[in-house]
Amino acid sequence: MKLYQNLSNEFGYNIMMENRGQLTLAHSDAAVRSFRWRAEVNQHLGVRSELVDRQTIRELVPNLNMPEDGRYPIMAGLWHADGATARHDAVAWGYMKGACERGVELHQLTEVEDVLVSNGKVTGVKTNRGTISCGSVVQAVAGTSSVVAKMAGIKLPVHSFPLQAMVTQPYKPLLTPHVSSPHVHVYVHQTSRGEFVIGGGSDPYPLYNTRSTLDMKESLAAAALELFPFLSQARLMRQWAGITDMTPDYSPIMGLSPVENYYLDAGWGTWGFKATPICGQTMAELVATGKPPELIKPFELERFYRHQQINEAGATAASH
Amino acid sequence: MKILNCPLNGPRNISEFIYGGELHEMPDPNRCDSREWVEHVYFHENAAGIVREWWCHSATSYWFLAERNTITDEIIRTFPASEVFNQRVEFTAVEGE
Repeated sequence: MKLYQNLSNEFGYNIMMENRGQLTLAHSDAAVRSFRWRAEVNQHLGVRSELVDRQTIRELVPNLNMPEDGRYPIMAGLWHADGATARHDAVAWGYMKGACERGVELHQLTEVEDVLVSNGKVTGVKTNRGTISCGSVVQAVAGTSSVVAKMAGIKLPVHSFPLQAMVTQPYKPLLTPHVSSPHVHVYVHQTSRGEFVIGGGSDPYPLYNTRSTLDMKESLAAAALELFPFLSQARLMRQWAGITDMTPDYSPIMGLSPVENYYLDAGWGTWGFKATPICGQTMAELVATGKPPELIKPFELERFYRHQQINEAGATAASH
Repeated sequence: MKILNCPLNGPRNISEFIYGGELHEMPDPNRCDSREWVEHVYFHENAAGIVREWWCHSATSYWFLAERNTITDEIIRTFPASEVFNQRVEFTAVEGE
């Protein structure tokens, strides 16, 4: 979060960071208990996160449907005041600009065809535009993590699922925070352009295809209407999907791999790009020193062999 | 809705089915080491292309196998597990080991 706050200045490029807060809704006693626990853990780690009651929720989101006797009554919320959104393209472009100014060479439209390994050590990458020999490789390829890792002879505990989302026509500004509900599997926020972004969990089975399904649109729309009935007349403008690389414990895999000097950054699944800056910083330290920094040590691939999974069920409205 | 052809119940909406993981050979639980077993449980081929996997028709709890293309989202073939498994799988510890 702290790294994001200065990112626009560092890049000299506006990432359209908007600090509007994030509200996660609890619809059951069990959810309230778990949110109370999450708030305590977050506060202990210095994050401004608190459990809020119905009255506060009503003040934060006046347009939210909050019936007393609804099928999914809203009982409390987890409020993260520093929660923010940023333009994802702008973050990528900002990094591109920042990296190139520091002397990094980017090769667009260049497909990795093979990873060259000799004596258990990575020596190069074969692409459709020629072979590049190198001392070390960082694999950060998201949805195709398993496919690329296989080129280096590495098998991963990953399944790739599509994740679909959609946006409505623009409305005047009426929703300030980002609202999500893990129970009805949906998140909704209004962009600065006025469009409502609606998303939720991953598809029900693995796939390397970003096609659209009516089933997912129906379930997302039903869940969004449960929270914001006024959207019933909204027209969908666009929909899209991304391939998410899901691990068995829903936590990323960062660190060393069975191949020497081949570093893994995979399994970010439904986490999006929120951890990108700290991820870049710690992975760079790993490559520079060859030693995993304390912060990412628990996320190494070896954790599965020791049965030390990091259970992470807190992703935004995702299906776990 | 996408239609999946269940070997027991015929063509049904895919929402009636649960994806049950890749079909891969189980190492002998009495002989394999811990690392092999971990790989069997957690690690996947996750191939882009034609895969063989388990599916379950949840309404009838019927498990079967399917061949599916994970790039084009096409179901190529569904068939009963007995096509692959024609012997009982023994999990209990072998006497004297």
